[in-house]
Amino acid sequence: MATAAMNQPPIVKIDRVGKRFGTGPVVLDGIELSVAKGEFVSLIGPSGCGKSTLLRLIAGLTDATAGTISVEGMTPANARELMFFVFQDANLLPWRRVAENVELPLLLRGDTEGKRRERVAHMLEVVGLSAAATRYPWQLSGGMKMRVSIARALSVAPDILLLDEPFGALDEMTRDKLNEDLLAIRERDPFTGFFVTHSVTEAVFLSSRIVVLSANPGRVATVIDVPFGYPRSGELRETPEFLKLLGETTHALRAVRNH
Amino acid sequence: MKRRLLALIPPALTGLGLIALWYAVKRIFEIPTFVLPSPDEVLTAAWTEKAVLWSAMMVTVQGALLGFLAAVSVGFLLAMALGFSPRIKASFYPYILVMQMMPVTILAPVFVLWLGQGLPSIVAITFMIGFFPVVANTTMGFISVDRNLQELFLMCKATRSQEVRYLRIPGAMPYFLTGMKIAGTLAPIGAIVGDFLAGSAQNGVGGIGYMTISYFSQLKTPALFATGLTACVMGFVFVGGVNWLHWRLLHSWHDSMVKKE
Repeated sequence: MATAAMNQPPIVKIDRVGKRFGTGPVVLDGIELSVAKGEFVSLIGPSGCGKSTLLRLIAGLTDATAGTISVEGMTPANARELMFFVFQDANLLPWRRVAENVELPLLLRGDTEGKRRERVAHMLEVVGLSAAATRYPWQLSGGMKMRVSIARALSVAPDILLLDEPFGALDEMTRDKLNEDLLAIRERDPFTGFFVTHSVTEAVFLSSRIVVLSANPGRVATVIDVPFGYPRSGELRETPEFLKLLGETTHALRAVRNH
Repeated sequence: MKRRLLALIPPALTGLGLIALWYAVKRIFEIPTFVLPSPDEVLTAAWTEKAVLWSAMMVTVQGALLGFLAAVSVGFLLAMALGFSPRIKASFYPYILVMQMMPVTILAPVFVLWLGQGLPSIVAITFMIGFFPVVANTTMGFISVDRNLQELFLMCKATRSQEVRYLRIPGAMPYFLTGMKIAGTLAPIGAIVGDFLAGSAQNGVGGIGYMTISYFSQLKTPALFATGLTACVMGFVFVGGVNWLHWRLLHSWHDSMVKKE
């Protein structure tokens, strides 16, 4: 799967990208990465390695100070229509009900009311929150909030989904469940994924490729191909192949940390 | 329910105690009624003067309400302008502060010169008192928009006017309503002070402030006390109304209103 994807032209091409905030230390240096349509790439590394910054660069939320990023041949800022961002905390509007939060991107891009209603109903069903449509964010658990956030992001059917540690604040059981659900959703509504995480298990379970970054400055240390095909089920985590790759990735991460 | 009734006992006892003390002081020091009327004399005066007091209250309510609405709407629009551009804020905010420092007692004669005795001046004075807290709070609300939510709108390619409508205004609502609450507490006081300084009895009766002067000059002290009582009742109703509006607009979603699970 991963090799087949690599023969296509890249949807995201990162070319010798560097980032420095003002006169501060260099956060990212010489990042090279080509990602093909349909890939799911995790960015992992020690704190301060700039993995979130890299994600924000792809989203065009901040600009690179060196090199270029192209998304379908465009600058990130011009390619925003193709992308959506899932923020670290669910980032919901507290005054809008669940359905209204999911509706927001559709409303802002000017979809008709009928179209919006239909899409929102579909998205809520996909994330299993149809029953909570009229609740306010404060009435939801952390996991439910994240589901709303994902439903909102996927409501516009983006080609690329950028996820910034979306499940970092959740307990492990909820996180595992949401990982499985995210992959199931991707089977129905395919997207190219970029996923920032601290969790090796999560990275291995979700990704087709794992990019391990080193810190100070952030550089690509290793890229690990994940050979498991999609769809994946929760049992994958218990297989010896999975555990072996988990070990290898953990090792790569430790090498970076001790560097 | 029973617990609620029990909770009423301590304040009721305090009230009874204070009334007893009032009677006692009057009796012991033999204070004449024109200096300190007894509570029953105040109530009797309130009853005999009820028509005048009611009209006075209505006049003052009118001034308070109009001044309050002006303060809230002008304050909101001004805050929106201040919140959107740091340059506009930097240019105007110092002068708003200067205006705030200007005591209303000095402004009142100026308003009377410009607008004449009566309602327009009272509304202007009420406005001056209520408008600043609305501006200060609402501006803060417009400025302190959640950065992550702003980025969400950026990802959605939202236009400036969409951002204002769907993010800035609802986000500033709790701040605006806090300002509105303060303005609501100040408005009845503002209207009474305004009436005191710029009121007139041209259209029959004056407002509460005007009646205060009238009763005082005639040494109708029980009626003067009854006027104070009327002002309290009016203030409670007014503030109650504003608090209800605050609750109504926020209770479904805002942290300060939401019951913790």
